[in-house]
Amino acid sequence: MSGPDRVEIRKLPTGVPGLDEILGGGLPEFSFNIIAGAPGGGKTTLAHQIIFANATPERPALYFTVLGEPAIKMLRYQQQFEFFDQAKVNSAVRFINLSQVVLENDLGAVLAEIVKEVEAANPGIVVVDSFRTIVRKAQSSESADIELQGFIQRLALHLTSWQATTFLIGEYTEAEIRDNPVFTVADGLIWLYQHVERNSIVRKMQIMKLRGQESVPGLHTFRITHAGLQAFPRTFGLSQTSDRVKGERRLSSGIREFDSIMGGGIPEGDSLLMAGPSGSGKSVLASQFIDEGLRKGEPGVIAIFEELPAAYVHRAARLGMDFDKPQKDGTLKIIYIRPLDLSVDETVHAVIDAVKQIGAKRVVLDSLVGFEMALAPDFRHEFRESLYRMIGALTRVGVTVFSTVEVQDDFNSMALSNFAISFLAEDIVRLRYISINGQMRKMLLVVKMRGSAHSIDIWEYQITSEGVVMGERLRGYRGLTSGIPGPWSIESGQNDPAPRAD
Amino acid sequence: MDTATPAIQNLARQLLAGEPSRPRGAIGSMNQAVRACEKLRMPLTRLAGATGYTSLLSRALVLAKRQAPSLKRLKVVPDGSLGGIDGIPPDSTATDASPDAGLILVAQLLGLLVTFIGAPLTLRLLHESWPAMSIDAITRSIEEQS
Repeated sequence: MSGPDRVEIRKLPTGVPGLDEILGGGLPEFSFNIIAGAPGGGKTTLAHQIIFANATPERPALYFTVLGEPAIKMLRYQQQFEFFDQAKVNSAVRFINLSQVVLENDLGAVLAEIVKEVEAANPGIVVVDSFRTIVRKAQSSESADIELQGFIQRLALHLTSWQATTFLIGEYTEAEIRDNPVFTVADGLIWLYQHVERNSIVRKMQIMKLRGQESVPGLHTFRITHAGLQAFPRTFGLSQTSDRVKGERRLSSGIREFDSIMGGGIPEGDSLLMAGPSGSGKSVLASQFIDEGLRKGEPGVIAIFEELPAAYVHRAARLGMDFDKPQKDGTLKIIYIRPLDLSVDETVHAVIDAVKQIGAKRVVLDSLVGFEMALAPDFRHEFRESLYRMIGALTRVGVTVFSTVEVQDDFNSMALSNFAISFLAEDIVRLRYISINGQMRKMLLVVKMRGSAHSIDIWEYQITSEGVVMGERLRGYRGLTSGIPGPWSIESGQNDPAPRAD
Repeated sequence: MDTATPAIQNLARQLLAGEPSRPRGAIGSMNQAVRACEKLRMPLTRLAGATGYTSLLSRALVLAKRQAPSLKRLKVVPDGSLGGIDGIPPDSTATDASPDAGLILVAQLLGLLVTFIGAPLTLRLLHESWPAMSIDAITRSIEEQS
């Protein structure tokens, strides 16, 4: 949006991880902005994060409090956040209470007070919290609209002329946007939402307006932790590219026979879906895939949503895989993502961060069913789209993704997953139980490998103390995919070999 | 609910020591406290508004009166200043007059501030009116005793 003959608008960092990306690089300097939303949405915290990230003693931040949260209480709570630098208070960050002026005087006096402070302090940032109370005060007079419009225009003009970037904080509803002079004058409008659904809280933000630069449209989730706000741009990871060519190399699964069934291994950079019922060995295969990578010097990330990391490591150890040492060595990261109120963007962020941190080549998502359960209910209805974004973001950074998904088998058909998500995977492997000779045995079938030859046979396998061990091809049966096979010769009337007696 | 720990009392003593003590005795001590509160009024009103400062000082006065009955005639007027000082017995030997009454009041006010916003921020606010004060040393001392 900028060219050599255009004025360059400097962008201020927000201090909020992820928000600069959403804003298109940061906050436009000298802009006049509104931070709006319902009570408890994080407006004051966002404003504090911005001022502490930018204020200096030379260009301080002036924080005007007006009839909202009492300043003493605000300081009491805000200092709990990590970004709150006490050393900046009263030097780089200055709090000024305007309540008395607002209560006792008209808008002209309020403006005069703000102007006086601004001219004395030469601030880089000015915050008015809550601006809504000033508006309410103005609306009590007969010529409210005109007075308010004039006040806002003079305020915006003055603060911009004094080279301050301004934030007006207010509790607004979206219905109030129309015909409201505050929103007309504003250069930027950041809206914070908070929805409670069942037992989880979902926070989202939207840049509804931002003059002069290209922000990322749509709703972005954010979380408030002891570190303050953290935003998760919904496009996170989708613009990245990898130098690696998909499928140029094959990755060993750690099981030689399985590699052979897959035409030499899992194509590097692919997304593989391992689908099967409970106890069929999906997680074991996933662990073996990571373990083999570690042996070959390929760091790995395991994202788990059901089991705790200690249990996962313990189970791997029982199968002869050491996941403790690589974690200490920094070649393996096991991420247990806090369940029940996750957003997809947050999960993608956590996994990609881990991938970048250790230079992972292999990623396991175990399992997609657990992932869905870990999402806040608000996000579950868009699970397919979410998975598409997540897998897309991961494969774009060049890693090979091994996802497991639990399938409830019936004995009429063989579903690939409960989510109709097979389009997400280049490679699909299906595990299932089969009943043969009075035994519940296990079979494996490579359903698809995009652009690559693979075995079309159905194979028997076992889970042993050393992990998954491949058996023989299951020949001479009909109806294997139904789980209740019968001898091939009865159905076909041909003289095919009889089922093997095991 | 007494928030004026010994370290905070020491801090109050330091603040009062910089104020002239005339006349000697209870009235002198009270004059010191009134001047200290006036110095505090400006930064605290700027931060919390006149109502915010008045509320804090009123609470501090109630707490202080429990320890120093001689403060009973003292009151906080709406602009945040202290009134009623003339009612305090001029003779320090009077039965209900404590030479430490002023100190107790300032210590309670500081104690409330420390309770609400913590020692470091309180001292930053004080620093505006008492620039020579060593923030770090006093913070350590208050935090060690809390």
